[in-house]
Amino acid sequence: MTSISLSGITKRFPGVVANDDVTLTVEEGTVHALLGENGAGKTTLMNVLYGLYEPDEGTVSVDGTERAFDSPRDAIDAGIGMIHQHFMLVDSMTVAENVVLGNEPRKWRGLRVDREAARAAVDDLCDRYGFDVDPTARVADVSVGVQQRVEILKALYRGADVLILDEPTAVLTPQEVDDLFEVLGELTAEGKTIIFITHKLGEALHAADDVTVLRDGKTVGALPTADTTREELAELMVGREVLLDIDADAGAPGDTVLDVDSLTVTDGDGIDRVADVSMRVRAGEVYGIAGVDGNGQAELVEAITGLRVPDAGAVTFDGEDVTQRSRRHHIEAGMAYVPEDRHERGLVMDSDLVANGILGSQRAPAFTTGSRIDWQSARTHATDVIDTYDVRPRDADATAASLSGGNQQKFIVGREFERDPDLVVVMHPTRGVDIGSTEFIRERLLELRDEGTAVLLVSSKLDEVTSLSDRLAVLYEGRVMDEVDPDTVTEEALGLLMAGQHPEEQ
Amino acid sequence: MRKPDRGTLMAALGGLAAVVVALGVVFPGSVAGELLGIASRPIMAEIALRLAVPITLAALGGIFAEKSGVINIGLEGLLIISSFTAVLVAWALGGTTSAALWTGFAGGVLASVLLAGLFAVVCIKYEADQIIAGLAVWLVALGLAPFASSVVFGGKNTTSINRFSEWTVPVLHDAFVNSGVGILSYVGHVLLRANPIVYLMFGAVAVSWYVLNHTAFGRWVEASGENPNALDTAGVNVHRVRYASVLVSGLLSGMGGAALSVGHVGSFVGNGTTMIDGKGFIAIATYLFGNYNPLGTFGAAMLFSGLESLQIGIQQFTPYEVPSQLIQVIPYVTVVVVLVLVGRTRIPEAAGEYYESGDDR
Repeated sequence: MTSISLSGITKRFPGVVANDDVTLTVEEGTVHALLGENGAGKTTLMNVLYGLYEPDEGTVSVDGTERAFDSPRDAIDAGIGMIHQHFMLVDSMTVAENVVLGNEPRKWRGLRVDREAARAAVDDLCDRYGFDVDPTARVADVSVGVQQRVEILKALYRGADVLILDEPTAVLTPQEVDDLFEVLGELTAEGKTIIFITHKLGEALHAADDVTVLRDGKTVGALPTADTTREELAELMVGREVLLDIDADAGAPGDTVLDVDSLTVTDGDGIDRVADVSMRVRAGEVYGIAGVDGNGQAELVEAITGLRVPDAGAVTFDGEDVTQRSRRHHIEAGMAYVPEDRHERGLVMDSDLVANGILGSQRAPAFTTGSRIDWQSARTHATDVIDTYDVRPRDADATAASLSGGNQQKFIVGREFERDPDLVVVMHPTRGVDIGSTEFIRERLLELRDEGTAVLLVSSKLDEVTSLSDRLAVLYEGRVMDEVDPDTVTEEALGLLMAGQHPEEQ
Repeated sequence: MRKPDRGTLMAALGGLAAVVVALGVVFPGSVAGELLGIASRPIMAEIALRLAVPITLAALGGIFAEKSGVINIGLEGLLIISSFTAVLVAWALGGTTSAALWTGFAGGVLASVLLAGLFAVVCIKYEADQIIAGLAVWLVALGLAPFASSVVFGGKNTTSINRFSEWTVPVLHDAFVNSGVGILSYVGHVLLRANPIVYLMFGAVAVSWYVLNHTAFGRWVEASGENPNALDTAGVNVHRVRYASVLVSGLLSGMGGAALSVGHVGSFVGNGTTMIDGKGFIAIATYLFGNYNPLGTFGAAMLFSGLESLQIGIQQFTPYEVPSQLIQVIPYVTVVVVLVLVGRTRIPEAAGEYYESGDDR
């Protein structure tokens, strides 16, 4: 039986058509993936279904009845629940308090919240759907995976039959992703219907029964996952054939550009976050650093790029000891840096791209006249980056915040690469970036290398570091476990190194 | 530097007090003995309780506002406006009868609620900076009350009127005071016959604690200050919760200001920093020290007012020649030291930020 049916949905915003005659049919008791690149219109469509947006054209039907939702309240009443990408939880309150927030069970004529009833209700839901959640735990104390489950419990407590999950795996560890998919299975077994938004092909194929693909606001395919392949879905999403596996030719390394010698970084608690790390990165090669996040990558990169002074060891860049030099000196010496967190460190979100384009070069002669910034040349520069790196929308006056994640990343990459650097330090260049942009960024990185630039690449994606790097170091608890040849190393061996074991010790 | 938590700090303060008490008992003639002699008089506790009233009530109001996400730094202004208005209304009604005084009290509360409401509209509807709007509340009240007093009474200080007469708990008071047992007699003097504003304060602490911890509204206040988005998506209007909380802060502060003027003093003093004299700001310090918990906040207010009362006692009773200016500064220095040492208070996540509802898009 059809649970949700959206037909002919068109939603226009000033200047854009976010959804153009989109159709989506979801069967009751199934998991349905809504697949598309960032900016394809997935979230807009779900906001229409959830009553946040009113469609310009088209109809929404729930269980065969046509509905018009004015607000999320109406959608909730119709049994639709949404789990947002950024959780809507109060950290200081308990799980049970969060679940019942706004619909608290009361006693004493409404003058007292009935905590026991709330706890019992949450326990009941947990039993029914096989969740392992402690209702009395404070939300701040539980893991992100459990927090997501609390969001699901909130929707279930409000009587949701259809759950919409917006990019549910973006914040989860691989283990938590598996747990989530198990939970989705239990929910559908109980007759619930799931729609999840994603741009990750593998997840759609793995967890969903059916998949609808959106591209540029249009439905380009709706098919059962059993009848399709990664390649077919990728092509539907991007609109052309996509190289899912890049196979980089080996680089032609030249002189040593970056020489890291016995670097040690100690944190406030006296623990060595980076312990005695040495490495050399040569011109024209990609030096990769693999490892599970939090094993010292961030601290190592901060020490190299001049964001923090190491406690011991030396960093030599282009023959000059830069260990104690300022961040500004590093930039002017020709070290470009694509940071891990683009919102925190890569961009000023409320500023336009003109200003963002000269971040770090604000004192460069090219963008200044006297002590004042030459906004005309800054604008030309931003426009160049936008054109060359295919940043959309093509508008230098747009704020950084208005861009999708992939486009923000392309803009940062463009800005840094255009500095004409001798060394680029790149952290997680494709995290949270759609596959079209990922492919583009990887190609640019290799082009830069072929032009003779040294590249230091930190990534937690194994396929990314192995396919792009010429040499690869594995970091574990701040130490280099080993340096391996990415072309010959096996995934098992890498996995062991990342877990702190040498394969031969087995 | 690692900061000690509240428990450690309170234990340290308690330990220090215990040492002074022990020294005082062993060496009655020493400085410690003198201090103990002063502190153990019932009048000291009575003064401390009365002094704590405006601070505690304003602090309770501050808790509601700030927990809901609106930092109300204008508590001082609310105390000033209510203390003046209460005297004005009571005076207009004759200023002698109990009915006139209590009507004046209600008038003071109303003035404070109105000013708080204005502050709420400016902060919530017009998205003004809460700190600046709060300072404006203080400055407006600081200018308006003495000015109005000059117009009506011909001077910054109002005419003296009556003040609340003390309430006595029937039977029990006499039984305790005449019991002959020191501690019971002390309790009888301090707690069983007191100014009604003291009982009002006890009631307000208990009710605030209950509302914040055990009612749905209390949960909404917390959610509104920690993550207003969560509250909004749960179907509760964030703006309504914040308006209600700021009005409650006006109500409680109004009670505090009116309690001081018509309850305790019997006039309004408008010279300099007025009779409020920074009590609204001390209130902010006490609720931070009390970590937004009404009970802890009451304790912090008592710590301050206890020191203040001791300070008055030392000036009156001590045989030593110590400059009074130096002694007067003791409570304030203590507050600064305590706040520096605490430093652990976690301000609500969304406090100070205005909230724009997603539904309006």
